[in-house]
Amino acid sequence: MRFEYFCETLTPPQNTSNNPIDDSRERCIEIGSEHSDSLKQSNPSSPWLIVWAGISITLPILLLYIYSCKPEAFSFAGVELKQILGNQDIDAMLATLDEPETPINTTQTASISDTANSSIAQDSTLPFLYHTGGVFTFPAYELPVFADTTKHRIILIGDSESGGLRYPLNDYCLANGHKLVLSVEWYSATVFNFGRSDTIDKIIARFKPTYIFLVFGLNELYARDLKARKIAANLLAKKLRNIPYAWIGPANWDEDYGINRVFKSSADSGSFFLTRNLTLTRAGDGRHPDIQGYRIWMDSVANWLQTSAKYKMAMKPPRKRGRPFRSSIITLNAAKYRGY
Amino acid sequence: MQQNTVDTNWINNLFAPLHDPQLLNRIFSYSTKEPWFFTEFSFLAVFGIFLVFYAAIIQRNTWRKAYIIAFSLFFYYKSSGPFLGLFALMILSDYLFALLIQKKSGTTRKLLLWLSLSYSLSFLLYFKYANFFIHNCNAFFGTQFTDHNLFLPIGISFYTFQSISYLMDVYRNEIPASKNVSDYAFYMTFFPHLVAGPIVRAKDFLPQILDPQPINAALYKESLLRIMSGLLKKLFIADYIGKYVDIVHELPQNFSGAENLMAMYGYSFQIYFDFSGYSDIAIGIALMLGYRLKENFENPYTSTNVTAFWRKWHISLSSWLKDYIYIPLGGNRKGEFNTYLFLLITMLVGGFWHGADWRFVFWGLAHGLALAFHKAWRQLFPKENNSHWARIASMAITFHFVAFCWIFFRATSFGSAFASIEQIVFHTKWQDFTGFWVSRREMGILLFIASIIAFFPPKIKEQLFQEIQILPTFTWILWITIALQIIIQFKDDVVQPFIYFQF
Repeated sequence: MRFEYFCETLTPPQNTSNNPIDDSRERCIEIGSEHSDSLKQSNPSSPWLIVWAGISITLPILLLYIYSCKPEAFSFAGVELKQILGNQDIDAMLATLDEPETPINTTQTASISDTANSSIAQDSTLPFLYHTGGVFTFPAYELPVFADTTKHRIILIGDSESGGLRYPLNDYCLANGHKLVLSVEWYSATVFNFGRSDTIDKIIARFKPTYIFLVFGLNELYARDLKARKIAANLLAKKLRNIPYAWIGPANWDEDYGINRVFKSSADSGSFFLTRNLTLTRAGDGRHPDIQGYRIWMDSVANWLQTSAKYKMAMKPPRKRGRPFRSSIITLNAAKYRGY
Repeated sequence: MQQNTVDTNWINNLFAPLHDPQLLNRIFSYSTKEPWFFTEFSFLAVFGIFLVFYAAIIQRNTWRKAYIIAFSLFFYYKSSGPFLGLFALMILSDYLFALLIQKKSGTTRKLLLWLSLSYSLSFLLYFKYANFFIHNCNAFFGTQFTDHNLFLPIGISFYTFQSISYLMDVYRNEIPASKNVSDYAFYMTFFPHLVAGPIVRAKDFLPQILDPQPINAALYKESLLRIMSGLLKKLFIADYIGKYVDIVHELPQNFSGAENLMAMYGYSFQIYFDFSGYSDIAIGIALMLGYRLKENFENPYTSTNVTAFWRKWHISLSSWLKDYIYIPLGGNRKGEFNTYLFLLITMLVGGFWHGADWRFVFWGLAHGLALAFHKAWRQLFPKENNSHWARIASMAITFHFVAFCWIFFRATSFGSAFASIEQIVFHTKWQDFTGFWVSRREMGILLFIASIIAFFPPKIKEQLFQEIQILPTFTWILWITIALQIIIQFKDDVVQPFIYFQF
């Protein structure tokens, strides 16, 4: 296409002002009566201009598509240049993430009950709340209880949810002899902050925990760029290779677009706790659980930690709730501190 | 640890879709997960390719028509799947009815009109309102009818209204019935107005089929500018504000009065930018093909009274209601009392058209009463105060009335709407506004920008558009890329479906 051509097209045509809608009424064409095939136009359309119009719509989208295939996004003055989300990629990717549920190993649970000779095992006076299909019920039978009495140094890392979950976790730690050394509350954080930054590495190096609780994802329920989040979640899992951890899924207030499945696929099998199906009471914002909600949540997590988690730990329900929180707290805000 | 399933090679990613055995199937078949709308980038890319071939046949009217009809049918299939058959059936029957109406006269003509109208309306009534009637019947008479599992065909409210206008115009001898079925199919299926309006009149559009606009540089720039500004309005401003409005309206009693008030303003801007942005895209796309659709919005929030508001808001619908409901009922020819009554009935129908829920009826009633009130006021005080301050005051009153009514439009139920109003009226404190500003600064800034655009004097807006069009033609690729990147930058999460889609 020649450049001069565009210069020609820049000159305004003579009859742009007349509106076809107005004069068409007066002319009142008998529609369908005359069907000459070629159009009678004083100023004929220029086909090359239409080709150019097509190119100028398709080419930008093509460019953006090519950019979105780049594995890592560009950053420009600290702002990430986002990529188009390929809708079809998500489904294909989620299909590969879905793994069949591992069947419950009954012999293993039996052996746990056999060795249950510590003080925790006998303590079944307080029944756990556990979850069956959205409703909390008291178990009709005695749950097998994990017998390991190792005392852990625990770190809780998460988004704003960790600010609520740390209180019931503290109660549990005090009741079971664990030490909750630190709670990191990173407001508005997403998997990008945890995965891409070295903040967690630094915290691990400094506090040397023997067990890590992760809870986040409430800020990314509606995320559809699962490809990028999957990469970040893998990075995060890599950081936690040498330490037992419990990766707790977000407390969904609405259906997510697959972020839970991404987390589950990145975490070690059996170390991801799916919170989505729990029915939790919510705080005033309708998003975060309230005090009671956090307690119910923690009860379910503790139950899971004793029974079916990969890295099990003693989590006897505390007799006294709402004990004062005396561990260190680190508060970060992703809006101000991104970490990477 | 599981292995990373994402390919990190750029080139492999680029050509990954080509290795997909389902590729062709995915392109050509309807999927409920990704229906085609104007805001889908896949649609825009295909539309660009469509234009390239369009250029080759632009001088041959028959080919041009056939090409556009084929693409429109494909578009409708991609956006609503098997309902294409229903749509085609409706087009064919309307075409035959119109020819019959034109031939007959007297009582037969009238009978045919009623028959054809009730036939057209029956689809809309069934798909949109069947469950509403079942619910109300169950509630009032204690019957035990079960719901029908219905999916509203996309655009049915719009194309039903178009077919009604065509049939009535033929009956009134305002236009001749289309002798050629392809002309009528072209008018009905024309994809820019297919799914969410504007409602195009046959008498405006059919003449253009024979005499389209010449596509020159001025038209090219105008249409691209329309499309881009529409995309920015819908995907950037309306969707971003919508995220906040959704949060508040999920449980309004949990938010302070200030938050509810901001959600009220937010929704007023959201619905305006959403629908006027959509109309801009539709008009821009039609213009690029050489057909000019009528304007649908003319700065409605700058109107100084409700009557003026309805002349500027969703013009294609309000003029339709005037021409095919208000005037056939009797308009202002049957006495003063009847005029008010007809006005109310018209607005009730308008409200009910927006959705099968009492909230929309109430919304229509409120607007009908306001229109009647304004008419009465005009008769008592015919002299208009044209001073600067009086205009600003009446603009503010009109905007606040309209924004207040939108609460019923947006809320999930009457209870939720009244909860929101209660919060606004009784629990609004000054310190909450500072709280809003601190925690939702981006939203505050965006609302401010939106209000500036919405209340901007139209003259300055037009001037600005003229200024932009001076930019050379070959640089437009760059501007479009930048605009799309801005959209991607803020899109992030899910996109709201258009507010007017399923109406």
